[in-house]
Amino acid sequence: MRRRDFVKGILAAGAAAKTMSAQQAAAPAAQATPPAASSTPPPMPPQGPVAPGPMPWNRGLLEAPELNLSTVVADAVAETHAHFFNESQTATLRRLCVLLMPPLKGYPGALDTGTPEFLDFLIGASPRRQQQMYKAGLDRLDAEAKAKFGAPFEKATDAQADTLIKPWLRTWMTDHAPTELHAAFINQAHSDIRTATMNSQAWSDAHQAARHWRDGYDLYWYPVDPNMNDEPNAALRRPAMPAAPAAHA
Amino acid sequence: MSEEIVDVLIIGSGHSGGMAAKILTEKGINCLMLNAGPVADPHKDAEVKPTYALPFRGFKQPGILPHVFQANEFNANTWVDEKEVPYTYDAEHPYNWVRVRLFGGRSLFWSRQSFRLSDYEFKGKSHDGYGDDWPIGLADLAPYYSRVEEIFRVTGVPYGLPQYPDGNFVPDDEPWTTSMLRYAAAGKAKGVPVCKARSALGVDGLASSVNLLLPDAVKTGRLKAIPNVVVRELSVDKNTGLVNEAHFVDRLSKREMSVKARVVVLAAGTLESTRLLLNSKLANSSGVMGHYLIDQVYGPGMVCAVPDARDGKGTREIMGGGGLIPRFRNIDTKAKDFVRGYALNLYSNMGGVSPHYFAAYGEELQQKLDSYYGATLSAGIMGEVLARYENHVSIDKVAVDAWDIPALRIQTRYTDNEFNMARDAVDTATALAEAAGYEVLVKNYEPNPPGYSIHELGTCRMGDDPKTSVLNKWNQSHDIKNLLVVDGAAFVSGGWQNPTMTILSLAMRAAEHLADQMRTGNV
Repeated sequence: MRRRDFVKGILAAGAAAKTMSAQQAAAPAAQATPPAASSTPPPMPPQGPVAPGPMPWNRGLLEAPELNLSTVVADAVAETHAHFFNESQTATLRRLCVLLMPPLKGYPGALDTGTPEFLDFLIGASPRRQQQMYKAGLDRLDAEAKAKFGAPFEKATDAQADTLIKPWLRTWMTDHAPTELHAAFINQAHSDIRTATMNSQAWSDAHQAARHWRDGYDLYWYPVDPNMNDEPNAALRRPAMPAAPAAHA
Repeated sequence: MSEEIVDVLIIGSGHSGGMAAKILTEKGINCLMLNAGPVADPHKDAEVKPTYALPFRGFKQPGILPHVFQANEFNANTWVDEKEVPYTYDAEHPYNWVRVRLFGGRSLFWSRQSFRLSDYEFKGKSHDGYGDDWPIGLADLAPYYSRVEEIFRVTGVPYGLPQYPDGNFVPDDEPWTTSMLRYAAAGKAKGVPVCKARSALGVDGLASSVNLLLPDAVKTGRLKAIPNVVVRELSVDKNTGLVNEAHFVDRLSKREMSVKARVVVLAAGTLESTRLLLNSKLANSSGVMGHYLIDQVYGPGMVCAVPDARDGKGTREIMGGGGLIPRFRNIDTKAKDFVRGYALNLYSNMGGVSPHYFAAYGEELQQKLDSYYGATLSAGIMGEVLARYENHVSIDKVAVDAWDIPALRIQTRYTDNEFNMARDAVDTATALAEAAGYEVLVKNYEPNPPGYSIHELGTCRMGDDPKTSVLNKWNQSHDIKNLLVVDGAAFVSGGWQNPTMTILSLAMRAAEHLADQMRTGNV
């Protein structure tokens, strides 16, 4: 858990405990809290009795030393469960990964970085149109390999596969990827395979080893003060306003 | 319940709202600022992270922010989510409405390009007969531009070109690299001026309302601000016809509240200000509110390679830096198939090159990426979109946002004027590259969807005639004199220029005029 979440958790728990305290504590106990002596408020909730135990739930948390826990990303130690693509689509995607993003110059290739499994997850979480493009594109590559070479795409030689890929490659500028269906798939898959590979930790580590500087770091924004409830609450809807004067309507 | 009546209520906290707050509070006027989003603190709300540690490995959560091409997984949480604040459009004519509701608005994140409009924009109709002139000219706004340029520390080189007016610049002494000099020489031979761009240095790199404007207002002790309140509607005093109250909803709790004010200044960003007025059914006796939506054409461009910088030979003398080709069409000559004009942004790139520029993969692609590393020069259009009555926004009959506030319907499209302009821009950039001896790698003629430039303008245009305009030349409603709109909604035409300096200058001028009017009791 991030330290920020941890602290937020503390504060949330504090607010909850305070509310319960207000509901359950006897009036004299609440009055026992001394008035603030200075303009600097105490860092923690009042010391009165809190539910459900005898101890304030948050006692000592802000005083505890920083944890300094070294965390790792799950990719470093775990496998992604791939289940979106079927068996032949997965085999075709893996072959495509080997061809389009092999290990080069000391950098890992797409298979080394779990790219097929990551893309299975990503496309599985994507809008339907993207999913259909991928499935149709992988199926077409496999069907063409079987028709032309009598073997599935995963068994195609590099030269055979090249005849199925190269004619569809296009040059394009950002935000203007090819739109023709199979070209869209080949170029998008190429781009996605490269990006998923280069955005992996294994690639980042290799880059740091080769160039001695870190790449791919940027300022990540957490949700800022996120909405408490995204669903419109009908009970809170405001009654209709009276109409504005006609002269200004 | 508070019965306090604030002097001036400012809705919005970006460049225009920040400027209004600064000017008015410095003139001794108490202001209350409402902002639809929270105050963002990058030290608390953001953290430097590697891409691989993000939930979607840098791809951004699939399906979110489909119309914010600028969004990525690092910054996704800074943009307005269109599921929360939806808008509608005709399916075949989408619009990219790119919004930020954090305190400071889009002034937090912008490209810093800082240009003045020229009289080819202010007085465009007088020059070529199209559209309408503004009720003001460059001479009216020049003193304000100068003061804004000083605050924002705009760096630039004076050229004496009437279509690229000079300003109050921090001198730009950076020499051009040879890749830029060669491109400029090719331009000169073809009568195309290649200049240096102009950019706001700001302070410590930030050129925002939150560091250059709002702190001055805070210093006066006359600015109060409420974050996280979404204004639903303005209402008027039935006896005077003057606006006197804003009704808003707490973003988090959805509690409904209202506040009374003597004057209301709208600075919510072009389309949000107009949406609020349309929802309030106010200030539209002209019937043109929501019409004449303008933006700028972005997307078309070209990337070329500088041969002598390839294969690791691209030194800092050859590569790096950038430039700007200000509008040159339809100044002294007439283009054959479009009116007005465009500018081109130029960048000489010392870094990596996109794999999309090569129809290759695997080892062959890697060899190209290595060979072309730090050796590319790109050009991208910033083109004028003509102000047209039919490009408009209205209140959608069905859609509402998360607070039950009726949503905006945006109906706009480009026409042959924009498409022909884009083609000319790409062909011109390409011709200059070839003349300079550069290898053209990729071109794109297709504009990004309208709105992509994040330069939406118009919809409450200013003018001298209350029958054909919403605001007078002081950004003040013709119908309701204590109501001002100080953001980009006031624009009559947009030109090719990033509008930020013009928005700021107009807001400064409008706020000073308002302060005078309040002092003399006219408002």
